[in-house]
Amino acid sequence: MRLQAISVCRLAWLSVAVGGLALIVSPGGAAEANLRLEALLIWGTNDTHSSDPAHKPVTPEVRKKLQELPFKWTSYFVINRKVLEVPPRGAVKVSMSDKCDIEVKNLGNTTVEASLFGRRKHVLQRTQPLPKGDTLLLGGNAPNATSWFVVLMQTEAPVTSEPQPGK
Amino acid sequence: MMDYESQLRLQACLDGELAAQEAAQFEERLANDPEAQALLGELRMTRTVLAGFEAGVKLPESPEFFWSKIRREIEREPRSVGDPRRGSLFAAWRRWLVPAGAMAAGMAAVLLIGRSEQGPETQTSLTDSGAFTYHDFAARTTLVWLSYPAEEELGGGEEADTLD
Repeated sequence: MRLQAISVCRLAWLSVAVGGLALIVSPGGAAEANLRLEALLIWGTNDTHSSDPAHKPVTPEVRKKLQELPFKWTSYFVINRKVLEVPPRGAVKVSMSDKCDIEVKNLGNTTVEASLFGRRKHVLQRTQPLPKGDTLLLGGNAPNATSWFVVLMQTEAPVTSEPQPGK
Repeated sequence: MMDYESQLRLQACLDGELAAQEAAQFEERLANDPEAQALLGELRMTRTVLAGFEAGVKLPESPEFFWSKIRREIEREPRSVGDPRRGSLFAAWRRWLVPAGAMAAGMAAVLLIGRSEQGPETQTSLTDSGAFTYHDFAARTTLVWLSYPAEEELGGGEEADTLD
């Protein structure tokens, strides 16, 4: 009987300790932190060079990601790059080109709601977790058997531009 | 036939529990009631039989000595519970700790589950019914391939046929 009482007591303390540890380890942070995201507008082609000297080849990391996908293109150029910081439960909309805007909502727990706008028209809305190391790619065909991509991934890079607040 | 109340009074009379006046009245009635007489006889016989079969157990010692032995044995027993104040303090702690522990465990479970769950995946393609999604789990990449912008919608202009 006494042993049972001691076990109950130990179990209770253990539970308190686990609860406390979870509170410490669990980031009210991770669930409610700002999400810093890199957004890239990319052109995929088989040409080795872009006619626009402002277009730079993608980083080796992004290139690797793209080459792991079943695409025929051999070269990928960055048309535009934005780093945006989305506050918890907030949304940020950035313009990637004259015709392409994206809006990202931070739903917490690294889950994002990404919306793609083409010519101001809401084309796609996708909700998914986007933890560090994960990449969300939106893409489609472009003229002359080329392609366009919008890449979204978490980054540590500094914010590049002042984005428009989302809706 | 005798009613239940009369049967009880008969039993009380037999046990000598009736007042003298009431007992006299009852005996007067009994003299004129053969059924009551028969019941009285039966009860007397039963009492006699039971009295004859009493075990008659007798203590080999006086009751005082017997009870003093019991008291000594009780006093000799080790106090397994310990100090009653300590016991009550422990009980109070236990009353507090058990629900607190359960609550902490529940919170930990919720937090741990909450951390592992990163929300569902949903996708709404608003203008592009031909969109499809491809997951490369090894590369941790999700691709959504759109057929947008549709060529007919854009009028075939090469410049217009892309989002870049």
